[in-house]
Amino acid sequence: MTSAHVPAIGSSPRRRAALAAVVAMLVPGAAVAQAGDACAALDPQVRRLLAALSDRPRLIDYHGVVTLQRGGDMQIMTLSHRVIDGQATEELSRLTGQDARVLRYEHPTDCMHPGHQLLQSVEVRGEGLCDLAASYRFRVANGERIAGRQAVRLRVEPLDLYRFGYVFELDRDTALMLKSTTLASDQRVLEQFQFATLDFATPDPEPARSRRAKTHYKAAHPHPRESARRRAGPSWRVAWLPAGFMPTDRALARSRRKTFTDGLASFSVFFESLPRAIKPGEGVEREGSTVAYTRGMILDRRPVLVTVLGEIPTNTARMVADSVRLQ
Amino acid sequence: MVGRVLELVKRKGASTGRTPPAGSAPTAESLSALMDGQARDLELRRLLRHLDREDRAGGEGADTRRADAARATWHRLHLARHALRGEQTFAGVSLLPGVRAAIDADPEQRPGSARGWRRAVGRFAVAASVALVVLVVRQGGDAPFIARVAPLPVGVVNTVGAVPVQASYGTRDVPTLQPVDRDAYRELARQRLRRYSQEHADHASLNTPQGMLPFARVPVIEQQAASEAANELDERQVSGSR
Repeated sequence: MTSAHVPAIGSSPRRRAALAAVVAMLVPGAAVAQAGDACAALDPQVRRLLAALSDRPRLIDYHGVVTLQRGGDMQIMTLSHRVIDGQATEELSRLTGQDARVLRYEHPTDCMHPGHQLLQSVEVRGEGLCDLAASYRFRVANGERIAGRQAVRLRVEPLDLYRFGYVFELDRDTALMLKSTTLASDQRVLEQFQFATLDFATPDPEPARSRRAKTHYKAAHPHPRESARRRAGPSWRVAWLPAGFMPTDRALARSRRKTFTDGLASFSVFFESLPRAIKPGEGVEREGSTVAYTRGMILDRRPVLVTVLGEIPTNTARMVADSVRLQ
Repeated sequence: MVGRVLELVKRKGASTGRTPPAGSAPTAESLSALMDGQARDLELRRLLRHLDREDRAGGEGADTRRADAARATWHRLHLARHALRGEQTFAGVSLLPGVRAAIDADPEQRPGSARGWRRAVGRFAVAASVALVVLVVRQGGDAPFIARVAPLPVGVVNTVGAVPVQASYGTRDVPTLQPVDRDAYRELARQRLRRYSQEHADHASLNTPQGMLPFARVPVIEQQAASEAANELDERQVSGSR
């Protein structure tokens, strides 16, 4: 460990501005941002909160224990985030179930992927950002106390049936997401992440380093402007997307996978060309908020299998799969 | 059982000069017995005789139709059998493609390579063998039967009909891969969830506000490019973070 660690807070004008925004915005009290016109701007307070949620936690060090509840199942894991020289190193380590670690090394903190651009209200489509306000209704309220921290609650209700709702509990000081609940349209809880312990001190890397998990996975960093892998296959496209979703990267038309996000949710579409005909049909598997929807069909006499996988309602996945076309 | 059928078929083929004795049409009972492995030699002979006679009586078209009728009976019996056993997953499978596939794949049974009743009997015997193989596979346990048959690029979709096939036999029932019903497709979805979750999490973790947490949703983390990743980790562990 070198001494190159740069304090995360207040070290640059940009960061100071962001911090000021967080402080200004996290005033107790309830405010409601209502989407008016189709392209109504987000309420300024909500806009600041979302921007802080996207921006602030990426710049700070923290580590803690996180639980994930889905149905009757609970997983426990540790999460750590360190920023050194403008590059974040993150680690997720499973404490229950599979002995696995996922690491993402040296992700530049100013590397903004489309999902975060949507959260930060950066114009990503040229038409200005109306996507989030057109897709969700946001309400801000006082939050719970989580992992010893006081939170601000951001209630996110979908304005259509194509996506889920959320209740985010954000740390009052840092806007770090302390708790995230995903809700179905009938308000059923599909999934809940929550910090059990949280420490903003620089995580000590030693214990993690001495611990060897059976499975290490180095998370990929697919660049938004570059295609993922090249693959021989037919060119295909997704002809219908729910409003507000955009591609996360410039996957080639021939790419096996294309991923889309609306800033809060994401799903990937996987395309498989089959060697022989298939009896058309569909299959659904859901785990918590994640759905895998697989559809076998014939496109231009070519048998294909399309799978939509992501944190979206089943019907959205079905409609997306249904819109896949050969080019 | 299958061996016995085939043996009989061969024997019949060798004794072409003999006139087959007359007999009654194959009844559902005899087909059922054949399927259950309960058929006595007498019944087998009766079935074969029936096909023999049909073949002699009719031309190519009639032969095909009758053979198809026999197979249809065979198919229905299978459905009934599976329904009785409560094996709903099997209900939609058509055995015909598999039967045709096996017939077409067998050079002995291609049109022109054998004559008359031999061909018809052969078809029936192959049908029997294919069907029995399927039954054996299905009875093997609770695991999805489709995953047990020979692998295809897609994985699960392989069922009875998934034998490499010449589509030249007849004009209908072009052989297809058949993920038959919702259970089979659900198994496909389940496999895709396991296979693709991690790749999806790569993107979700960069494009949703939960950071690395999408990886917690991955059923089983796979060690991609295991050796490379490990080397890189080791280097970093040695050299410290930069």
